[in-house]
Amino acid sequence: MTNNLHRGRFGPVVAIVSVGVLVLGACGDDSDDSSSAGDSTSAESTTAANATTPADSAPPADAGSGPDTFSYFGQTQNTTIVGTLETLAANECATANAAAPLKADATDGATWDQQLQLVAGQGALSNMSMAAGTPSLMKEFIDAGLVLNISDALEELGVADKILPSAASTIKSLYDNEDMYALPTELNIEGFWYNKQMLTDNGIEPPATWDDLVAAAATLDAAGIQPFVAAGQDGWPVTRLVGDYIARSLGPDALQKVADGQAKLTDPEYVAAADEVAKLGDAGYFGDAPGSIDYNTAMNQFLTGGGAFFYMGSWAVSNFNDLEQNKIGVDNVGFAPFPAVDGGAGSIDQVPANAGIPVMFTTNNYGETTKQWLKCVVENYGDTVLSESGVVTGFAIDSPPADLSPLTKTVQDTINNAGGSFLWFEAAFTPEGTTVSQTNGGGLASGALGGQEFMELVQKANEG
Amino acid sequence: MAVTSQHLADPASSVAQPMKFLRRLPVRAGLTLLLVIEIYPIVWLLLGSFKRQDEFLSEPFWALPRSWGLRNYSEAFGEGGLGTYIRNSVIVVFPSLFLILLFGVAAGFALEIMVWKGRGTVLLMFLAGVMVPTQMILLPLFTAYFDLKLTGTLWPLVITYVAIGMPLTVFLMATYLRAIPKEMFEAATIDGAGVFRMFWFVALPMVRNAIFTVGLVQFFFLWNDLLISLTFTTSADQRTVQVGLLNFTGQYGARDYGPMFAGIAVSVLGTLIIYLFLNQKVMKGLTAGSVKG
Amino acid sequence: MHTVLGNKRAVVTLLAPALLVYTAVMLVPILWSTAYTFYDGNAIRGFKFVGLANYREFFGDQIAWDAVWFTVKYALVLTVLQVGAGFGLALLYVFVLRRASGVIRTIVFFPVVLPTVAVALLFRRLFEAAPSTGPVNAVLNWLGTGSIDWFGQPGRSFWVIILMDLWRSMGFYAVLLYAGLVDIPEELIEAARLDGAGGWRLVRHIVLPLSLPILLSSLIFSINGTLKVFDTVVALTNGGPGSTTTPMTLYMFRTSFTYGEYGYGSTVALMLTTMCLLVTLMIFRSTRRDITRG
Repeated sequence: MTNNLHRGRFGPVVAIVSVGVLVLGACGDDSDDSSSAGDSTSAESTTAANATTPADSAPPADAGSGPDTFSYFGQTQNTTIVGTLETLAANECATANAAAPLKADATDGATWDQQLQLVAGQGALSNMSMAAGTPSLMKEFIDAGLVLNISDALEELGVADKILPSAASTIKSLYDNEDMYALPTELNIEGFWYNKQMLTDNGIEPPATWDDLVAAAATLDAAGIQPFVAAGQDGWPVTRLVGDYIARSLGPDALQKVADGQAKLTDPEYVAAADEVAKLGDAGYFGDAPGSIDYNTAMNQFLTGGGAFFYMGSWAVSNFNDLEQNKIGVDNVGFAPFPAVDGGAGSIDQVPANAGIPVMFTTNNYGETTKQWLKCVVENYGDTVLSESGVVTGFAIDSPPADLSPLTKTVQDTINNAGGSFLWFEAAFTPEGTTVSQTNGGGLASGALGGQEFMELVQKANEG
Repeated sequence: MAVTSQHLADPASSVAQPMKFLRRLPVRAGLTLLLVIEIYPIVWLLLGSFKRQDEFLSEPFWALPRSWGLRNYSEAFGEGGLGTYIRNSVIVVFPSLFLILLFGVAAGFALEIMVWKGRGTVLLMFLAGVMVPTQMILLPLFTAYFDLKLTGTLWPLVITYVAIGMPLTVFLMATYLRAIPKEMFEAATIDGAGVFRMFWFVALPMVRNAIFTVGLVQFFFLWNDLLISLTFTTSADQRTVQVGLLNFTGQYGARDYGPMFAGIAVSVLGTLIIYLFLNQKVMKGLTAGSVKG
Repeated sequence: MHTVLGNKRAVVTLLAPALLVYTAVMLVPILWSTAYTFYDGNAIRGFKFVGLANYREFFGDQIAWDAVWFTVKYALVLTVLQVGAGFGLALLYVFVLRRASGVIRTIVFFPVVLPTVAVALLFRRLFEAAPSTGPVNAVLNWLGTGSIDWFGQPGRSFWVIILMDLWRSMGFYAVLLYAGLVDIPEELIEAARLDGAGGWRLVRHIVLPLSLPILLSSLIFSINGTLKVFDTVVALTNGGPGSTTTPMTLYMFRTSFTYGEYGYGSTVALMLTTMCLLVTLMIFRSTRRDITRG
């Protein structure tokens, strides 16, 4: 009776995978450097790409060469990307679609990485597909030469400027590579969404420091309000807090140091972060049985007034804007960036951000028709998806729609004004470290697990 | 005598009717409890197919749906594409089931009734298959199907199902065939019957109810399989019902409860009908009663 | 008779289809996967020969041993419970309800049909502690105890998993065993009754010995099913809290497909297969002996 594989945790893990971003503004200077560095290296890698891509070596007159369909492979759960591609195929990308008609397919997100591994192992990736959920798997694809170097490809097509620098650096840091290997079809920021009414009723200002947040939680708890709502069953909404705290106290590059072996999660300054979160759990600030709360329940709890603070990504704005789900009122939802830690090396204007699940192109069978598609997608995807689905992407927007919802605008403003950005807790971890971290997140929130214990488990899993 | 015969087993009963009632009470109470435990969840599931998303999340477990509209069902069939998934499941499951039973009974006959050297070893080899975790054969099979260009069709599902159903079917059929008195085959031999006649006219009728029972077991296994169908269906229009049910889960782990429960209700009702049909057959076979356990 | 039933050509014709498909789709891939146990890597990175390193790793891997322990504990407890409950129900059908048992048999059997996703959702709601109170905790509250976070502690989630699987499967085993019981000749039981055997003695001395073969088949089926538990755990607790309810199949699946260590994953799978094999051989031998005796 081997029926159900089911979602429990594969879903969220795969889903959330993704984040990225690095230092946006601070990287403003950096990204200039890196793009010039990219220029110098791109010459070599383009030649390399040429050598392996027969279509490139064909004479330019043969413009119609390449595969005669444009295949796309995505997760069933994501209907936005495929919907937008279909719109593009009928309108802006009609020419590309005539040369190589769009052929979209999908499989379940719960086993996405497994499926992708199987397909990639056969060298049968679609022309365009959603990227692997786990960054380290994606790195294996890149090392095996299966994934197209998007930086070089866009340079060649002359549309490199269509990618926002912040999004580009997100993707680069996501796969720890100086070139982009995926397109940022989504750009999300994360932080504390809060119930304005609950805060004003209790005389609480949106917290600017971690101590403010802890004090606010104590006040709310005393007033009989559950301070935090979190999906402990999924784990990541809790471990994100640990990661963000580390970024604030030790700086945005602190977790990369762990991945590079220069520091350990069990070092006291890292353990302190997990301890802070465990303390909140110990005090019962996540409510009863947080380990049993799943994503839906948490979302509903926040939107029906069941708690004050809700740490979540900006993809949830569509839920906040849905009056059928949101019973506390759209105007009642506020956004506060993750608070600063006193004396910490990080600053509050650095945002935790992610690129959703980006899309990649495969090197296999990459030809003229695929290039047409790539160019057209890069030029038009951002505008189309923003006006049709309200999704904020990492593409430059030519004509912003006038009727953006206030919350969507908050998100865009936060992205534009950010003083940098950083990756989420498990971004640089091994898949094993990621799994162990996220399955133990619920324990932190319920107070069953101490900070030291949690970090030891994750560090051990990371070392494999 | 005829009137009182039903009380014979319990001589005391004619004296004390209330005693009998009292003695039956624990059994009755137990039965009632059993039925509540078994039925209530199913009712909950059915009620769930009429609920809206916020009713699932905000109302208590035992709440009734606020309205009885079929919106969830039309969503499950419309956007959810449930019709296609049911068709795929039917296309895959029934031929697989037929082949499993045909091959399985034949092999069981060859291994249990026929006499040759090494049959014990072959039976053990089949039995070993019961123990292999399916996860272990996924990668080799995926590679093989891909090289054979079967990926993208429903063949990998049928082939895998038939193979995975084989060990249990062969093993159970051998067990059931073992119970047929050897004299029956001897008699048939004396009548001059060949092996295939014996298989068809002596063995098959004797194990008819066993075939239905095994068929029932295999049917549920195939119908509810998720791991295999998830791995080998690479495109949307090949999805089976169980894979299709996952569609009602969103990218970040959000669930669309209403349509999902409607999908479950439809899938379950279908299987219930088949079960009731087969169950009747099984019972008919049982009352004809030729198999000893 | 032996000449007819020993007809080689007939044996081949009858056996070939089953044997062919079984060999090609199960045996060959098993050997193939067994070969992977001597390699490190996956389909993308490529495979590297490492000799017995995976086996050494397995014997020193604390998480793997935790998974083994959980799997064994789960399989033993659930097998005893589900075959026991199934046998109890079968007795109920045959001796108490008799001809009226049809409807109840169907109803008790029914949960087997339900998709695991649905059953897991159901049990999560039944044992819910927050934000709303599920029926189980509501009863506890009514009795004066506080709500219990059923999924927050390994010991408790273990029993919820057991309970859920028991609920799903006991009707199935009841039907399997019922088929065996119903074939016990009526005269045998009547004769025993007349000898004064009733209730427990009747079951012990007449029913149990006669239904032993089917009981042992059920045991084999049950132990192999429970040692390979996967979907119910994934759906209900996903191996949590932490990794405390992670069976070997889930650990194997994660190692192979999430961590990309296909070689090591195959090693875990092979260990599980070996375990199933040993247990089954033990039971199978006793079946054989009992059949020749009975």
